[in-house]
Amino acid sequence: MKLTGLTHSTLCLAITLASLSAVAGVTDQDISDSGKRNDQIVVNGLNQAGQRYSTLDTLNTSNVKELRPVWALSFGGEKQRGQQAQPMIKDGVMYVTASYSRVFAADARTGKKLWQYDARLPDGIMPCCDVINRGVALYGDLVIFGTLDAKLVALNKDTGKVVWKKTVADYKAGYSISAAPLIAKGKLITGVAGGEFGVVGKIEAYDPSNGELLWTRPTVEGNMGYVYKDGKAVENGISGGAPGKTWPGDLWKTGGAAPWLGGFYDPTTDSLLFGTGNPSPWNSHLRPGDNLFSSSRLALNPEDGSIKWHFQTTPHDGWDFDGVNELVSFDYQDGGKTIKAAATADRNGFFYVLDRTNGKFIRGFPFVDKITWAKGLDKDGRPIYDDAHRPGEPGAEKKGTSVFVAPSFLGGKNWMPMAYSQDTGLFYVPSNEWGMDMWNEGVTYKKGAAYLGAGFTIKPLNEDYIGVLRAIDPKTGKEVWRYKNYAPLWGGVLATKGNLVFTGNPEGYLMAFDAKTGEKLYQFNTGSGVIASPVTWEMDGEQYVTVLSGWGGAVPLWGGEVAKRIKDLDQGGMIWTFKLPKELVAKH
Amino acid sequence: MRWLPTIVCWVLCLCVPLAVDARVRPYDDIVASGVLKVAVYEHFAPYSFEENGKARGVDVDLAQALADSLGLKLELLWIVPGEKLDDDLRNFIWKGHYLRPGVLADLMLRVPYDKDYRNQRNDVGELANEQVVMFGPYQRERWQVVHDTRRLPKVDSIGVFRLHRIGVELESVPSFYLSTVFGGQLSANTDHFPTTAAAFAAMQGEKVDAVMGLRGELDWLLFKAKDAELKESDNTYPNLGQPTWDIGMAVHESNRQLSNAIDMQVEDMINDGRMAKLFEAYGVHYELPGLYQDLE
Repeated sequence: MKLTGLTHSTLCLAITLASLSAVAGVTDQDISDSGKRNDQIVVNGLNQAGQRYSTLDTLNTSNVKELRPVWALSFGGEKQRGQQAQPMIKDGVMYVTASYSRVFAADARTGKKLWQYDARLPDGIMPCCDVINRGVALYGDLVIFGTLDAKLVALNKDTGKVVWKKTVADYKAGYSISAAPLIAKGKLITGVAGGEFGVVGKIEAYDPSNGELLWTRPTVEGNMGYVYKDGKAVENGISGGAPGKTWPGDLWKTGGAAPWLGGFYDPTTDSLLFGTGNPSPWNSHLRPGDNLFSSSRLALNPEDGSIKWHFQTTPHDGWDFDGVNELVSFDYQDGGKTIKAAATADRNGFFYVLDRTNGKFIRGFPFVDKITWAKGLDKDGRPIYDDAHRPGEPGAEKKGTSVFVAPSFLGGKNWMPMAYSQDTGLFYVPSNEWGMDMWNEGVTYKKGAAYLGAGFTIKPLNEDYIGVLRAIDPKTGKEVWRYKNYAPLWGGVLATKGNLVFTGNPEGYLMAFDAKTGEKLYQFNTGSGVIASPVTWEMDGEQYVTVLSGWGGAVPLWGGEVAKRIKDLDQGGMIWTFKLPKELVAKH
Repeated sequence: MRWLPTIVCWVLCLCVPLAVDARVRPYDDIVASGVLKVAVYEHFAPYSFEENGKARGVDVDLAQALADSLGLKLELLWIVPGEKLDDDLRNFIWKGHYLRPGVLADLMLRVPYDKDYRNQRNDVGELANEQVVMFGPYQRERWQVVHDTRRLPKVDSIGVFRLHRIGVELESVPSFYLSTVFGGQLSANTDHFPTTAAAFAAMQGEKVDAVMGLRGELDWLLFKAKDAELKESDNTYPNLGQPTWDIGMAVHESNRQLSNAIDMQVEDMINDGRMAKLFEAYGVHYELPGLYQDLE
């Protein structure tokens, strides 16, 4: 009896806590329900699968031309560089990150700024590609994000004041964080970006309430993973079992493979799905072997970070094909059977459909028009290399020998997330058609020393467009429709039950397409390039759409032919929010 | 994503090839300000580093001597090295970096003085570094092996590293070289470290028997180690593309008046032996750059 009584009071306490936290902020239930609830956006990717799909259909193909801007908010200051965040919405408040590691909270109805947090960034940070950030995680009372100097910062959702701050990695070694952190089973999960020299990529879990490290998992074969118990590191197995299986010499100690774009949590298989960057050193001739787990997708156990399976898209990468692009979970029917699949559109130009229960390759096909570095994929999804398109060994050949590789190292698709429509069963993939010339430079220097480097230049494949938004059937590999864009596409995509697909372009337009036909139904000029991911939600019975505007990111960082196409684009830094007014819904 | 920073320089080259950046300070403005801003690499002993909060090193002392000779106060800008020299020239001499708006150096040290590099063309056939003047060679640098004679008495040829472990810095020519020379036979005995100093420490800790790196860095590490059993070898390096190169300086292309003034000082310092003394103070062999070797 005594025991029962205890259980009863514990239960009461648990219920009280649960209801308290429901008032206080984002709960685990909110996160699990993210795919069903339209009144809030509490995860990156709109649902846990990362599908960027909304079940809202108030706004649809027949009335989208009535979409109206209702407010805009400037990020202010002189820090108008690339804006890539996906906004979050909770209890009528929008939470969004901006360039230079800033966070803004705004009234979602009016755009009134509620608070702003500016991370104080040290001198000497060396971010790879602009000063972008891709958004926050919400949990309980906290708004959590990663900074350019590789810290996690948790802010109070009402005041914007720092609750805790934690260094994930040393920015002096070249590390930074630009991806949105992930909440999975009450844990805060993050990867890290950068780290060119003497480092190994890692995925880590933290206690969201205080920033305590829970586990760390290196993404290069041979390195030990740890779980932390009472502040003590306990060995939890070597990634890949042992060193030296797919790396020569001691290069596994410094193999790169940074998981810099974050990932998703799939509750149906209880797995964290993350991608990893390319291997180090850059010269592939120095590291014969597959170089696991570079340029791969990994499924991790969220409890302790152990690797359940991996799928490597570009073994022995020699072209800078990061494997970080998002792996989106989806189910489909095949002969009466439900297939638990996951799909990714890789830098290397191939679209992969995997069995997300075990990482096995189901099928793969090119999603861009031209791939030269591989002749195709074998039955296991491994690329069949074309050795004429691997850059030669530096120093071993005459300088100036150049190889042409398509896609370019910026990828058939880069960071910008695709969307999956549960209605059409199609993926909407923001892609780019470009290749690159690569050659070994005769004379190069690095920090006062002679060096062997590679030169390269990106070349558009077509005169009239680089960007292509594609509707792709994951079951057949068939492209259902395409929309061509003059400048490269660099923003995320959103699909809705209203048979709509939204994305933005560097020319500054937020655009809406018919999800079935690709017909462009709406566009609005936001005044600067759109390279962020649009979202939609419902408030006061009306459907809203928001996207950030602000040109920058990696695209403006290169020259050659591509520079000509973007030279007239100007910087910015705004949140744009639209809605379909009630009275106009009735009209249609 | 690692190639991105490298290409940044091309953008400006293409769009405004001859525009002078407003932040480049002409010689008269530099003199009027009373300050010479000199960029040197951070954490790069014996050339430029901080010790107990104080800037030290051959390049720091040289920068001080040059500022003194012009009657100016020295202000140091610390360079976080990019992937290649082009990045550093872009960040400190002609474009600046978006994280430090408006900040450029008047002068950058430790810029190789190499005709081929200076004349390098970019992908569209234009000079890759046309906004930069590279001048004032003041040192010849080279690759070098240091070995612990207790475990490796003599390095007759690089072939001994079939049997002995050697430490190198990651992503460096010694790493590329030892991993590939003789068909990769030395690769298994080549250990990688984040820095040459870490490789040197591993040799002192008996984890490797030798280290290959920049002679200047190794001279300094030997100077500090004070261990007579650690010696520089005099073996040859078959198939090592570029065993030696010269080190000079850079200013913006619009600032030749400054480079001319400094050039004269550098020449004087080399001719009257002051330059050699700067190096000797850190235990570094002073080897004349090719320009002066040819004169002798």
